[in-house]
Amino acid sequence: MATFELRGLIKAYGKTRVIHGIDLLIADGEFVVFVGPSGCGKSTTLRMIAGLEEVTGGEIRIGDRVVNEVDPKERNLAMVFQNYAIYPHMSVRQNIAFGLYTSPLSKADKARKVDEAGALLGLTPLLDRRPAALSGGQRQRVAIGRAMVRDPVGFLFDEPLSNLDAQLRAQMRIEIKDLHRRLGTTIAYVTHDQVEAMTMADRIVVMKDGHILQAAPPMEIYDNPVDVFTARFIGTPSMNIVPATQSGGVVTLAEGDPNLLAGVRPHDLLVGSTIADPGLTLTGTVTAVEPLGPETLVHFDVAGRSIIATAPAHGPVTIGATVTALAPRGHVHLFDAGTEKAMGRA
Amino acid sequence: MTHTSPHTAPRLSMRTRRAIWVWAFLALPVLFYSVIRFYPTIDAFRLSFTDWNLMSEPSYIGLQNYRDMFASAEFWKVFRNTFAYLIIGTPISLILSFVIAYFLDRVRFGHTFLRALYFLPFITTASAMGWVWRWFYQPAPTGVINSVLGAVGMGQLDFLRSTTWALPSIMVTAIWAGLGFQIIIFMAGLRSIPQTYYEAAKIDGVGDFAVLRKITLPLLKPTTVFLVVFSSIGFLRIFDQVYNMTTNDPGGPLGTTKPLVLMIYQTAFNSYQMGAAAAQTVVLFTILLVISLLQLWILRTR
Repeated sequence: MATFELRGLIKAYGKTRVIHGIDLLIADGEFVVFVGPSGCGKSTTLRMIAGLEEVTGGEIRIGDRVVNEVDPKERNLAMVFQNYAIYPHMSVRQNIAFGLYTSPLSKADKARKVDEAGALLGLTPLLDRRPAALSGGQRQRVAIGRAMVRDPVGFLFDEPLSNLDAQLRAQMRIEIKDLHRRLGTTIAYVTHDQVEAMTMADRIVVMKDGHILQAAPPMEIYDNPVDVFTARFIGTPSMNIVPATQSGGVVTLAEGDPNLLAGVRPHDLLVGSTIADPGLTLTGTVTAVEPLGPETLVHFDVAGRSIIATAPAHGPVTIGATVTALAPRGHVHLFDAGTEKAMGRA
Repeated sequence: MTHTSPHTAPRLSMRTRRAIWVWAFLALPVLFYSVIRFYPTIDAFRLSFTDWNLMSEPSYIGLQNYRDMFASAEFWKVFRNTFAYLIIGTPISLILSFVIAYFLDRVRFGHTFLRALYFLPFITTASAMGWVWRWFYQPAPTGVINSVLGAVGMGQLDFLRSTTWALPSIMVTAIWAGLGFQIIIFMAGLRSIPQTYYEAAKIDGVGDFAVLRKITLPLLKPTTVFLVVFSSIGFLRIFDQVYNMTTNDPGGPLGTTKPLVLMIYQTAFNSYQMGAAAAQTVVLFTILLVISLLQLWILRTR
């Protein structure tokens, strides 16, 4: 059990700086998800915590120990990789036991721990199989098993579900979250999938270009993104952003180069709604219709911009028709057009 | 106006058309190998039961060639020499090339240059190399090795004219000649092991030696199997180095360095006993086959 703390953490390869001095405190037992586009530095940060990459500047603390110069094995962390990193020439049992290779436990104790981990992860009937005979989800569970048996102070996950299909990914999300609840160990988890971040995290850390943009609980980020990037990155489909002007609590579409941007999530922008006194009204020609079952997404053009709105499931919207979509007051996010920083809501 | 109905099936089925294409491409190499490889190989079996000096027609003599061969002391000496090359040469060259590849893989500075340096002998003509090494082995002051031995106060060794040292001396040359290729193959094998395997082991705190024993070597097994078979065949067929380093008395001194291939060469082209040479070839073929199959069976994936 331990806290992870990053203080002014910097990473550079030669003269290229990829992490620009980030600060973060991960509480004991917290599940923190680093999310961001490719190349944002999230994996590098995780690998520095693991000890696989050297720290260029700043400090990493695990508990109250500075670990910058500490060997990976001395950090007592466990890591799960995207390609599982389980050994094809060993059985599931041997793979899990490999986590205990250097442990001073007796043979019987090691075997007991492997059996326990196997049982916890539903791998008991598979213990004597080779990885080649397992599905992707089962392989990742073996990797988690190998990480678990060592009783590490924290788990590091580097895009562990990226190689799985959508259905398995959804199932493993639940399993990992459940595992965290049962073990209560600190977890740092890296993904580029914002759905994973939203569904699993106690706290999401949004990164871009080696900076932390926002670190907050999932709903806080969803409701109050600090800037345009975070607003568009978290939530699917992405938030619509249009240039706007504001007067008396009502936002209207602006022409040219205004100093205000208005953002509205597709789920807050309703086609065929009759709410009185809307915060934002957009009208345009429908270019695409995507029925999802419970609702239908309507893509339409407003002044050359593609906007996504939501319509009732069995709505009569057709391509080429002109539609009007309304967003209720309080659901329109405002951003400064220059800095792209959030300026509250209208 | 031409009009093809979309419902008209082509005259030949898709399967047949594919087969025709495949065989069209395969025909040339199949023909080529049949004429220059398979036919002579099979014919060697036939010739081994004959007495033939290239001038007259071969005459059938049954198993006489084999009886003579197995009764001759020279054959058994050559047999022992050949296996000495194999049994000493293969493990030494493999261990050496693995150790070099393992460390070269970790070297960043001058990596490409070093790799090229190790590979150089492989692209050098074997006979030229044989002569250079022959020179190294000369008595001082001509021979570099004896000069060094003399300088450090040790006695001179007459490498290539000693019945004890000639075979190991030639073997060193042969090992050195094949090293570059084996290093390159081992390095390719090492590179194909995903880096995350090592990272995972590092985080689990597994030491370098345990990683080598538990991860690197097992995962390198396909590469090792290939090189064991390849290198064994090379040592069983050793000829160039021996011939060029002992030209005064090929296979000497007193036949202590003579391998099977050199014996076949001499039987065929010095003594013109084609039938006897064919019988020796059949023995070599059988040894190669048995050793290769044995190695594949021992090192098979379980």
